[in-house]
Amino acid sequence: MIDIMDGNMAVSHGAMLSRVQCMPCFPITPATEIIETMAEWSRSGKWNGQYRLMESEHAVMAAAIASEMVGARTFTATSSQGLELMHELLPIASGTRSPLVMANVCRGISAPITLWGDHTDFLSTRDFGWLMFSCATNQEVIDTVPIAYKVSEDSDVLLPSMLAMDGFVHSYTRSEVDMPAQAEVDRFLPRLRLKTCIDVDNPASLGIPAADEYSYFRVQVHKAQLNALDAIERVQGEWERRFGRRYGLAEKSHMDDADVAVVAMGANCANIRSAVEELRKRGKKAGLLRLRLIRPWPLDYIRRALSGASKVLVIDQDLAPGRGGMLYPEVRAATDGAVVSNFIAGLGGKPVRQSEYAAMISDALRAREPFRRFLI
Amino acid sequence: MKEMHGLKDIPKESLIGGGTSTCQGCGAMLGCKLLLKALGKRTVLVNTSGCMTLTALYPYTPYKVPWVHVAIETGGSAATGISMGLKALKKNATIAVYAGDGASYDIGFESLSGLAERNEDVLYVCYNNSAFSNTGFQRASSSPWGSKTSTTPPGPRTPEGNAFSRKDLAKIMAVHRIPYVATACISHPIDYMNKVIRASKIRGCKFIDLLVPCPTGWGFQSADTVDVGRRMVDAGLWPLYEYDGKAKQFKVSVTPRLIPVAEALKDQARFRHLDAKQINRIQTMVDKQWQLLKAGKYFEADFY
Repeated sequence: MIDIMDGNMAVSHGAMLSRVQCMPCFPITPATEIIETMAEWSRSGKWNGQYRLMESEHAVMAAAIASEMVGARTFTATSSQGLELMHELLPIASGTRSPLVMANVCRGISAPITLWGDHTDFLSTRDFGWLMFSCATNQEVIDTVPIAYKVSEDSDVLLPSMLAMDGFVHSYTRSEVDMPAQAEVDRFLPRLRLKTCIDVDNPASLGIPAADEYSYFRVQVHKAQLNALDAIERVQGEWERRFGRRYGLAEKSHMDDADVAVVAMGANCANIRSAVEELRKRGKKAGLLRLRLIRPWPLDYIRRALSGASKVLVIDQDLAPGRGGMLYPEVRAATDGAVVSNFIAGLGGKPVRQSEYAAMISDALRAREPFRRFLI
Repeated sequence: MKEMHGLKDIPKESLIGGGTSTCQGCGAMLGCKLLLKALGKRTVLVNTSGCMTLTALYPYTPYKVPWVHVAIETGGSAATGISMGLKALKKNATIAVYAGDGASYDIGFESLSGLAERNEDVLYVCYNNSAFSNTGFQRASSSPWGSKTSTTPPGPRTPEGNAFSRKDLAKIMAVHRIPYVATACISHPIDYMNKVIRASKIRGCKFIDLLVPCPTGWGFQSADTVDVGRRMVDAGLWPLYEYDGKAKQFKVSVTPRLIPVAEALKDQARFRHLDAKQINRIQTMVDKQWQLLKAGKYFEADFY
């Protein structure tokens, strides 16, 4: 069924379709509509899960970990400062192997306060053991919620998933969405059954400290991340068979013969793709590799995808002060001999024109030495 | 479980195995054992980082009931998640939080307040050793005035040691309009366990502030834990009471003999630096507090 909805509505429908059982939440712009929508559905009886308005995002994540530990499928959504407040608990969610799913509606981090989108909030959580999906359309948002649950709950994975979409550009922008049928999603995503959970008939101690075994447990999280690469391909293959929409580890556009490969993530990729196509019309062989997966980092896939390009331009809508773009070093490590430049643009939702992208891609194509430029 | 009349009524079977890594004479562990004896097997125990966290150390656990630890400030929030999960799966269990005073008065205060505001069906027991004991006895907002902690050493500028009066958490919980608030001490196990039993039969959020003498932090012999606690109660330094949030009724559950506070304070190295004038200040405060409590003026009394 084709519907028109914004990203916040798409993610709420994704949660409903996944038959989430618990949702602790706390409002924050630009994710608030998700919290409000689930409240309304909870009140009207459209959704029968456990809904709680918590006192902070920190409390949200603690409750989410705990309800997941009981064995109830748990969902929440946040953004920016809310995600930053959760930081302490994010590696606890992965370390306790709690396969919950959270949507992060990307927004720049304070200070100064901004309500507008960039990816610094999302990417600053990349070392906490979460599977990290980056979406570029509202369709991808709604599809990724059940996909993320199925991957997260895989017995070889058992890790939480974070799904990123862009504040405002997704969250408040309506577009066409093909709504998956509930019955088909039910066949795709069975009920959650955790082997180890909180159960008075089978008591276990969860979240306990470890001494010598600490490194063992954290390395297990890393191994589970690597296992997720296979699981993601398998699960997305099943999604394609059932729903006809294909998602890879990353998305390639015009990459086959590209001399300059642009690497980016998020909603701005629509604009970047237009710039690439504009350059193609002018005879410049540009291509776009849109990142869908930040963790696990699909290194081999990206290396192969970039192997033909002599020039690479990484577009970061994020900033690690003192280092530069956050995606840049990761992408650069997946290249061999290419001139890899970095364009940091769109911080705090600053608009970037298609012509600005096109000019930067042209410069990257000509560059003999890597450059780093900012759009301030 | 029925209310108890004497020590013989306490179940023999413990739901916590022996050989845990607490300090010798730990009041908090005694409080936890008594809590589970009063609640029984169908209990989920929510822990917060602190002394009691280290009792379970991979691959061992002494707990014969489900036990959950998330972080230090997550007592109320993790308990909420457990409650949500159990409700979603239509399972029944008593949910009890056993959290330290630092995790309840200070860093986890917000999460406790949220739990109470939502009136979640959870029993929250704060085991109160009056400082951050697990990290070596640093001051918390539960530390009483005049106590020496590793971050309030008595010196020329602050001869009294801790210059702050403690936060009155139980009273703060009472004004959250939850159905049941009480204080207790491990030195009075029947009083404590009966409060747990009474609380467990009430739907909604229940709070008990449980004083647990700490031999290493307070500075006394490990065999004296119960005696030290008893003298704190006897001297009126730790009033034992219940507050019925529905009836808005305050009731002292154990009337103290009101022995001089000096007799209780001399047990503990953390008060040994106090001179007669400072001890007198505490005595005056306790006297005034009891005058008001005896008149039923709970909310007007400033607790020591």
